[in-house]
Amino acid sequence: MPYLDPFSQPLSTKNAAHLLRRATFGPTPDEIADFTGLSAAEAVSALISNAALTLSPPPPVVMDEASPVAGQTFTDRPFDSGKSNEYSFYVKYWWIGLMAEQNGKPSVLEKLTAFWQNHFVTTQTVVTDYRLSYQYISLLRKNSLGNFKTLVSEMTKDAAMLIYQNGNQNEKDHPNENYARELQELFTVGQRNFANVPNYTDADVKAAARLLTGWQVENQSAHGSASARTVFNPDRHDTEDKQFSSHYNNTVIKGRAGANAGDEELTGLIDMLTRHPECARFICRKLYRWYVNTDVPQDIENNVIVPLADFFASAENNFALEPVLRKLLSSDIFFHSDNIGSIIKSPAELLVGCMRFFKQPVPDMKKEYVAFKKYVEYIHWRMYPMQLNLLDQPLVFGSLPYYQTGYSVNWINSASIGMRRMFTDQMVYPTEIHPNFKVGIDLVKWVSSLQPNFSDVEGTPPITCEQVFDALSKNLFVHDLFPSQREFLIDKIMMYSAPRKSWEFEFNAYRKNQNQETRGGILWRLEAVMKYMMSMAEFQIF
Amino acid sequence: MSTINRRDFLAATSSMVLPVMLNGFGVKAFARNSALVNSLHEAVAANPDRILVIIYLNGGNDGLNMAIPVEHYSRYHALRSNIAIPENKVLPLGNSKQMGLHPAMPGMQQLYNEGKLAIVHSVSYPNPNLSHIRSTDIYMTGSDANQYASTGWAGRYLDDRFPGYPENYPNDNMKDPLAIQIGHIASTSLLGQRQSMGVVMATPDEFYQLVGTQTNIPVDDLPCCYSGQLIKYVREQQVLSIGYGSQIKRASEAGRNMAGYPENGNELAEQLKIVARLIHGGLQSKIYYVELGGFDLHSGQVDGNDPVNGAHATLLSKLSGAVSAFQQDLKLQGTEDRVIGMTFSDFGRRASSNASKGTDHGIAAPMLVFGTGIKRQNIGTNPDLANDLVPPPSSSGDNNYDIAMQIDFRRVYSDILNNWFGAESSKTDSLLFKSFKNVSLFSDVVETINSGPWGEKSVWSHGRVPDINDLVRINRGHTISINQNIAAKKINVDAGGELYFQGNYKVDTRE
Repeated sequence: MPYLDPFSQPLSTKNAAHLLRRATFGPTPDEIADFTGLSAAEAVSALISNAALTLSPPPPVVMDEASPVAGQTFTDRPFDSGKSNEYSFYVKYWWIGLMAEQNGKPSVLEKLTAFWQNHFVTTQTVVTDYRLSYQYISLLRKNSLGNFKTLVSEMTKDAAMLIYQNGNQNEKDHPNENYARELQELFTVGQRNFANVPNYTDADVKAAARLLTGWQVENQSAHGSASARTVFNPDRHDTEDKQFSSHYNNTVIKGRAGANAGDEELTGLIDMLTRHPECARFICRKLYRWYVNTDVPQDIENNVIVPLADFFASAENNFALEPVLRKLLSSDIFFHSDNIGSIIKSPAELLVGCMRFFKQPVPDMKKEYVAFKKYVEYIHWRMYPMQLNLLDQPLVFGSLPYYQTGYSVNWINSASIGMRRMFTDQMVYPTEIHPNFKVGIDLVKWVSSLQPNFSDVEGTPPITCEQVFDALSKNLFVHDLFPSQREFLIDKIMMYSAPRKSWEFEFNAYRKNQNQETRGGILWRLEAVMKYMMSMAEFQIF
Repeated sequence: MSTINRRDFLAATSSMVLPVMLNGFGVKAFARNSALVNSLHEAVAANPDRILVIIYLNGGNDGLNMAIPVEHYSRYHALRSNIAIPENKVLPLGNSKQMGLHPAMPGMQQLYNEGKLAIVHSVSYPNPNLSHIRSTDIYMTGSDANQYASTGWAGRYLDDRFPGYPENYPNDNMKDPLAIQIGHIASTSLLGQRQSMGVVMATPDEFYQLVGTQTNIPVDDLPCCYSGQLIKYVREQQVLSIGYGSQIKRASEAGRNMAGYPENGNELAEQLKIVARLIHGGLQSKIYYVELGGFDLHSGQVDGNDPVNGAHATLLSKLSGAVSAFQQDLKLQGTEDRVIGMTFSDFGRRASSNASKGTDHGIAAPMLVFGTGIKRQNIGTNPDLANDLVPPPSSSGDNNYDIAMQIDFRRVYSDILNNWFGAESSKTDSLLFKSFKNVSLFSDVVETINSGPWGEKSVWSHGRVPDINDLVRINRGHTISINQNIAAKKINVDAGGELYFQGNYKVDTRE
């Protein structure tokens, strides 16, 4: 099997949809059409270059209409401790809004940022300062396609991270090992290699903790403070040499003093961590699990992870991320039929995916901030009980289904399957979330748009129930339905055992005279079949 | 994070077929009336009505500030002066001056004094791992530190006791979920060979509302490979959840809470309240799993100038208040003798505190077991905070110590499976991958587990030197040397066991 070789065929509709489902939070039907027929290289190039279009979006605004500063930015103003919880939510909502954006130019940016946010976790609950939360997520967005070493360095000094992982409290007389451990276990080399051998020792954790002493955060959640930031305090820094184990070739990082000591030693540390042969593999394996398949058997390790990691760490590439993503997303293995539908949708892929797939437009955050807030709340407060809380993961490891045994199946259990069904049921009943803003699928409008010469009832025959069904189910699932499933859904669910021809009479009645009764006559069938399809297990995979 | 040997449900045998659940046909009706309802009998269990409640203290509980070794108070204080509980605030246990509980735990103090709470001291496993993920995995799977298991210890037990799950369930012999987890994401502890053996739910009402009464399975066609396996998995969850929805609702409506529970956001109390209601309502589930999070307190575990209050005190108060209310509820319901509970956590925390008024990841900490079924209230001893520290204080200049293990957690699991659920010991050994010495948690008798001097605590199943209240058994093959006066309520020496007097010493017994 060719693995990392470039996928050479033009993208079929199914392949285009697969790429978009994985590289974004889910495509619109138009995006699938646009990408069909492109080469994989062209499609991935577009997804990567489109990232620049939304890289510097307007910052979050106050979304409470009762506030005197409604609609205005707040991350650039003196800290308001009374608003810390509320404004933290606006940062979260701002980001979720970007995920749902439908500008016709799909990009890898938010899905990749979500990967890094789940990798370098910090939570608003612990950080409490919305400015730092915004700085943190902005840093991840800006660097998500950049250089991994830079990203690790920036994250290490990031104020939110210093607070979340107690780096802020790490000083020479009382080292706090929290960040030093997670830096190795979770962020760079990983705890163990593929053969289950530890990648570092506890002494390495202690040495790294000493190396990282001295970083502090100024003005965290300080009411009225103009800004909050990271500073390096040389007095708190351990100036002794740091000795690492044989896992790191017994590297000694020279202890330094003075204002630049922290940066200088950090550079040495990151060089050492990334020189560890497992570092590149750990990151590539995690990317593979995020984008391709959570299952990494030996064959994939040998033929995908190892060569991709070699490329990632090569002298020419030097830990640049974008070429690695480009290679992975345009590879044969990415498009291999086994890998299509091989992951269960996260709540974001389900919720944001539905908003995009059913073309539910995101209200303009600056002009329609209340509608925007309601729209994102609709998403967030449904994802949350399904166990996805962006910017507030339960633990430093990120959301459980990204690391726990079984991986994405952990999204599904007897309770969450019910919540998912409840959400998809709601999607077929358009609800006004704010005056003139509805969320939900207008099924009658959709189906009417399929009918040529809608008003010419005598001259143009009605679309059949098969045509309607095929339109409603188009690209809804990763695989084609089995003929038996299609028959069942049409006859038993949509037609409720009535003859298929009945549809045409009912639809023509509506074409002739659009009133409550004729509309209701077709709507209940459309609702039933749409709800049913979205409640199927097949809809939960991508 | 490790990458291999993770539970690979995708490798599930392809012979597994779904029940014939078509066309929206109600599962409940199917389960009761269909000819397909199989006649599988629940595998023989010696104690079929018994229930285990597992409480996971998420994040790594600081055992040394929960069960405080008052007898070593000065050393305790020296290790953690910035978070130490003042000696006069410690809640004493029984008449002992040796040990006490955190002042936030009066409920558990009372339980202890009523004989319903056991403290298993310094629980860990060989070669401890200080990663949350990995160590939790070890506790949940019951594996060695250098081995990986893809199933949970409790899940394996249920898988063995209820063969054919999930295809043949619910059935007439077991209408109810095998296990119930209050929460949202299934715990590894409950993982069986192919999937969680439990039903996960936030509340019974919500669960029933969510799952509804009809299946959503049109046909059993499946694509191949990964996607087919995932679809099959989701469908199974749909079938099971609907099948169990009405049973849970019935039990929830039939059951009543008879004791008052703490309020003010005690999420553990909320969960245990549901558990008690379902037990009282007659639900036959064997294991309940609940969780209290927030124990990973690297900083701020105590308040600024008040070591009695703070984040850890809040958590312990929730634990103590919830468990004591739960126990009282069971007593009033009349179900008390059928239920035991246990806690576990990711690991313990360092004996030495850090400068941030917190504690870093450490090795050993107590497990708590509660219920009327226990026969013993202390397993192992207080860590003496000198000989029981790692590294040994003499060998290291820094002030950064861990508490050494006394009791392997799997010995507690082993007693629960053997003596509480009544599994055969050979079965327990295979479920736990090897044989573990018992801890006499459910036995009046303490027994030898090795040869050695009488005065050596590791010779004894309960990890303590026997005293005048203990029934003692010297097991076959063990030679216990006596080089001191000894006391016990009664001593039985099995054939092939030996008491070897190394001098003239007195044996004091009650009988």
